Amino acid sequence: MTDLAAVREGIERFLSDEWGEVSVGELQPVSAGARRLNVLFDAERQGEPLGLAATVVPTAAIQIVSTEAEASNLRFAEAAGVPVPHVHAVCTDEAYVGGPFIISTRVAGVSVARQILRLATDTEGLGARVGRQMGEAMAKLHLSPTDAAHPTLRRPHNGSPAKTGLATLRELLESLLQPSPTFALAYKWLERHRPADPTSLVFVHGDFRHGNILVTEHGLEAVLDWEGCHLGDGMEDVAWVCQRMWRFRNDGLEVGGLADRTDLRAGYEAAGGAWDEHSFHWWKVYGALRWGMGLAGQSRQHLDRSFRSVIMAGSGRRCAELEYDLLRLLAGSYQ
Amino acid sequence: MQDRPSAWELLDAVAELLEETLMPATEGGVRHQARVAANLCRIVQRELESGAELEAREAELIAEALGEDEAIGATELGRQLSERLLSGDEDLERRAWPALVKIVRGKLSISKPGYDDYDYAGESES
Repeated sequence: MTDLAAVREGIERFLSDEWGEVSVGELQPVSAGARRLNVLFDAERQGEPLGLAATVVPTAAIQIVSTEAEASNLRFAEAAGVPVPHVHAVCTDEAYVGGPFIISTRVAGVSVARQILRLATDTEGLGARVGRQMGEAMAKLHLSPTDAAHPTLRRPHNGSPAKTGLATLRELLESLLQPSPTFALAYKWLERHRPADPTSLVFVHGDFRHGNILVTEHGLEAVLDWEGCHLGDGMEDVAWVCQRMWRFRNDGLEVGGLADRTDLRAGYEAAGGAWDEHSFHWWKVYGALRWGMGLAGQSRQHLDRSFRSVIMAGSGRRCAELEYDLLRLLAGSYQ
Repeated sequence: MQDRPSAWELLDAVAELLEETLMPATEGGVRHQARVAANLCRIVQRELESGAELEAREAELIAEALGEDEAIGATELGRQLSERLLSGDEDLERRAWPALVKIVRGKLSISKPGYDDYDYAGESES
């Protein structure tokens, strides 16, 4: 259990060291991944009220990327015109709260899938608007020159995002506890249908979907979680949000149960993005296969006792859902 | 022979405890775990009802696609099919695809009934 009072005190001390005297109000924890703590709070800097948010990593040892790199990704996105929380400060000194953290602007909105879908049901036209805005945001990100990106940003070896993706999948395939003929078939299909590499590598968010976006009745307010960014093919981002697992039973609306693919594409193209239908389909099959094997990996972690959890155990039985998705996505090639 | 309640009936009791007592009494992450645990009980109940029959059918379907003997069993046949698919055999892919659709529908009837109602029309590339 994180000691919120201690975190509050640490953030207050840090901000005071940075900005001069600052007082920090009570921290309100919001839904967070198991690895990170996200809190919202009010602060006051010499009489000026500030609505802030902090993302705290319990210890730098479990980070996917450094906090510096994540903050750099956020700033890159902001400069590209993508709605993101503005970064106020980055702290890499673990002495304050026990791990590194980012202080950013608090942005209003809901991020949990069911809340977003409920809001879309209650607000005429919101789903399609958010779909379009997601397309616009992705295109802005993908069109932004990558020389300003953080030097540690992951890039595909040999310059081919699809070949690098296939190498990752091959490794996952070898690590399955139990071979899946459907995963094997999907892998071979991907190998044979590899799309042409994009003319230039673009900045890819990597996990653009419910849970990582903030939505209000006005539309998309912010895109969160910038730790999985890499250089690659922009179609990876647009295809990922079209996976069925983000629709939460609203299966007819391909984009997160909110909008049609045409909405996402219209936004993407309106902002200048180049949409490639075959590449989109390839990355969609890729994402389903990667996630299917990710679920198998979760149950393996439970079984080998590296992460004991009833939820991780249950993940193994969800592989069949992704197998079904894959077989249906490939129906056109086999029927 | 074990005494009643049967395995199915015991799972039913555990699932009911999770659904009707523990879920309403908890919240957040713990409630979510209780929901998942209840769902896993329901999955095992369905597996007790039809798992053996589906596994025999799976062995039959793969054996037919491979031209092998179904007596080898679903696990070994699945391993062989994966291996041969990975070695690159497009004819086998075409024979395997309809068999795999049936097999996966069978698995979903246990793990997530109704998931295969959606047919992905318009999402497959021809």
